[in-house]
Amino acid sequence: MKEIQKFNFSDGVAVEAKNVDLYYGKFQALKKVNMRIQEKRITAMIGPSGCGKSTLLKSLNRMNDLVEGCKVEGEIFIGGENVYEKTADLSRLRKNVGMVFQRPNPFAMSVYDNVAYGPRTFGIRKKTELDEIVERSLRGAAIWNELKDRLNKSALGLSGGQQQRLCIARSLAVEPQILLMDEPTSALDPISTGKIEELCMQLKKDVTIVIVTHNMQQALRISDQTAFFLLGEMVEIGDTQTVFSMPKEKRTEEYITGRFG
Amino acid sequence: MRGRAVTKSESKSERGAKTLFAISATFSVVAVAAIFLFIFFSSVPALKEVGIFEFLFGDVWDPNRGEYGLLPMLTATLLTTLGALLIGGSVGVFSAIFLVYFCPKRFKGVFDQVIVLLAGIPSIIYGFFGMVVLLPFLRKTFGVESGSGLLASSLILGLMILPTVASLSKNALESVPASYKEGSLALGATKEQTVFGVLFPAAKKGILSALTLGAGRAIGETMAVQLVCGNSPFFPKGLFSSIRPLTVNIVTDMGYALGTRRSALFVTGLVLLVFVLLLNVLLAWIKREGKPQAGKERILTPSAGQDGRVYCKKGGLSTALAVVCRVVAGLASATLVFLIGYILVRGLPNLSLEFLFDRPTYNRPTLRGAFVSTFYVILISLAVAVPIGVATAIFLVEYAKVGSKFVKGLRVFIDTLSGIPSIVFGLFGMVAFCGQGESLLAGALTLSLMLLPTVIRSVEESLLAVPVSMREGSLALGASKVRTIFKVVLPSAASGIFTAVILSIGRIVSESAALIFTAGSVPMLPDSPLDSGATFAVLMYRFTAERPDFAAAYATAAVLLILVAIVNLFVFVTERKLKKGKK
Repeated sequence: MKEIQKFNFSDGVAVEAKNVDLYYGKFQALKKVNMRIQEKRITAMIGPSGCGKSTLLKSLNRMNDLVEGCKVEGEIFIGGENVYEKTADLSRLRKNVGMVFQRPNPFAMSVYDNVAYGPRTFGIRKKTELDEIVERSLRGAAIWNELKDRLNKSALGLSGGQQQRLCIARSLAVEPQILLMDEPTSALDPISTGKIEELCMQLKKDVTIVIVTHNMQQALRISDQTAFFLLGEMVEIGDTQTVFSMPKEKRTEEYITGRFG
Repeated sequence: MRGRAVTKSESKSERGAKTLFAISATFSVVAVAAIFLFIFFSSVPALKEVGIFEFLFGDVWDPNRGEYGLLPMLTATLLTTLGALLIGGSVGVFSAIFLVYFCPKRFKGVFDQVIVLLAGIPSIIYGFFGMVVLLPFLRKTFGVESGSGLLASSLILGLMILPTVASLSKNALESVPASYKEGSLALGATKEQTVFGVLFPAAKKGILSALTLGAGRAIGETMAVQLVCGNSPFFPKGLFSSIRPLTVNIVTDMGYALGTRRSALFVTGLVLLVFVLLLNVLLAWIKREGKPQAGKERILTPSAGQDGRVYCKKGGLSTALAVVCRVVAGLASATLVFLIGYILVRGLPNLSLEFLFDRPTYNRPTLRGAFVSTFYVILISLAVAVPIGVATAIFLVEYAKVGSKFVKGLRVFIDTLSGIPSIVFGLFGMVAFCGQGESLLAGALTLSLMLLPTVIRSVEESLLAVPVSMREGSLALGASKVRTIFKVVLPSAASGIFTAVILSIGRIVSESAALIFTAGSVPMLPDSPLDSGATFAVLMYRFTAERPDFAAAYATAAVLLILVAIVNLFVFVTERKLKKGKK
């Protein structure tokens, strides 16, 4: 029973990518990406479909490992540790770097078991402790009031927006340091979207958030930092207000003003 | 946030689990290899003494005089299979076309269920029905002495493979893209023209596979033909000449054959195995990815409207074919409904509480022994087949690389296993598991090998139906692969596994050929799984062939039908639930 260590963000940098090249078979999906993500901020990644933003997101917690033929070169540091090191511990990485997917993917279990799944995975079995985690996580995902009376009902019966917030709660239950969100609102209606955006603003007090979005208004509304991707390259990263009002690169400006993409 | 002691899952157990799944997966390979080896080595003495040439081309089978020619039986097997394909195959395909395209919507569900139910009826019941209904009918109609022989065998086998061919053809037809239909209709073709000109040809491959699988069932069938073939090892001379297919040759003599004669029966099994292999090769050839062939293109200069072309209404042939479909489907379902009705009407009055539950004696067998025997066999064979099958399916879906050589090879073995005739399984079980004599345990082990391919396939399907996103969700939380499989994937696939179990029970209840020489056909009450005992279907065999007692046979048949219906009801309900859950 070894305790899982957290990553150490002593210099305020949560993630640093250095010269990352990523290939799916022969196709190069990322080209020499270099970027830094600040701790306890919301970083938005924008760009047209197929530009590599989701790919980069998925390589931060190595979910790309599941894709056959995927090869990564370069280094990705989280709290100064290279996650593509051979000795890297995947369980530790993914416990500390949580992920919320494009489509809500609750397990076919009760609401309670969904949230308790992560803690149970890491050896927490005491009922009182689990009860506390479930409540805290659901409150953290701003869905406790809606679900507290149906904790034992199947999670598959919830609405899309509720399912997505449940999935966020499920991620929060293992106390991640970073939360990766892959277009978390693209399958949701505007009201649910608003709730999740509000939630992100709350969460960044404790958690570093990286969000991939196709919705530029969303990036502008919630993010502190924005990175623009095009054809596998990271074109520009900077303060969100600056990137949207005075982009350095012409390609960024063209995309933001809607001239292509 | 305060720190919480969280523990790390060990990767040693990860590797251990993977190895375990992989080992389970190779079990099918071992099983097939063992069957071939055991059957082969048991036939060596006869092959040495008689010679392979004499076996294959000798035209007299008379073991008492040392004549071991299998050619008459080979011919009989080929001809009955051909006959079954002509009758059952064509009727099955036509019924499938009717079901998919011409059946009124509200009857469709009922028809579907009827086909499933018929596919589950034990073959011994088909044989019994042939004996008590078909043979008298043929005698009266054609004025022949016995009615048994080539025609009766083909008819009964045809009836038996009909549901298989129909349901597989139906799947093939249903997977034709809807756009084909729209495309044809949009050109002004009638529905009938569309069905026979576009949709049916598009499903050709699937229908050919269905027919091949049907042929496999017909070749390997023992019990259904045994009662109607006449059982004389001569060349068929006419529709009513008494014949003996290869499978029947085994079951007729196995009970008392010794020495070379016994070994010669294993040679018969070996020949059957070769047949099955050839059919498998054929099946693989049909299923192979057809490369589009570059046809020669004729370029015509457009001349429409210039030469006063006349467009005519055509489609008489397809309209006629559509009528044939309706008639044939009607006849087939009438026959099968008659079969069920007949057995129930004749069987239920013969059922009594004494016959069901009294303690059986040798001279007055009751069904109580069959209840106990069947229960033991179900329990043991599921306990073996389900864990191995589930582990194999997990390996194939969760671990193996799609399209790797190992997986491809594994599939060949699993397909082969599913094609081996049950009488050959029986032979194998006899030499492999019956060292201490016949026992329910030996029968159950034999059956577990037979069940394995079905279990693997249906569990595999239900695993594939679990969305990838659920696995990702679990892995993204840092859960290990093993934990993901057992806590997230398997529970979501539970109903599929349940269906596999129910289907297996159905097969166990209706199996007889594989059990007669492994579990035995003694109608007594077994004290433990180490005793021999007769399951329902085996008891039915005893009442029809070994020691004829038609009243008991009718009653047993009725009980068997009811059991099969209950099993089907379970499957139906689970699948309903599954569909609802997906919404």
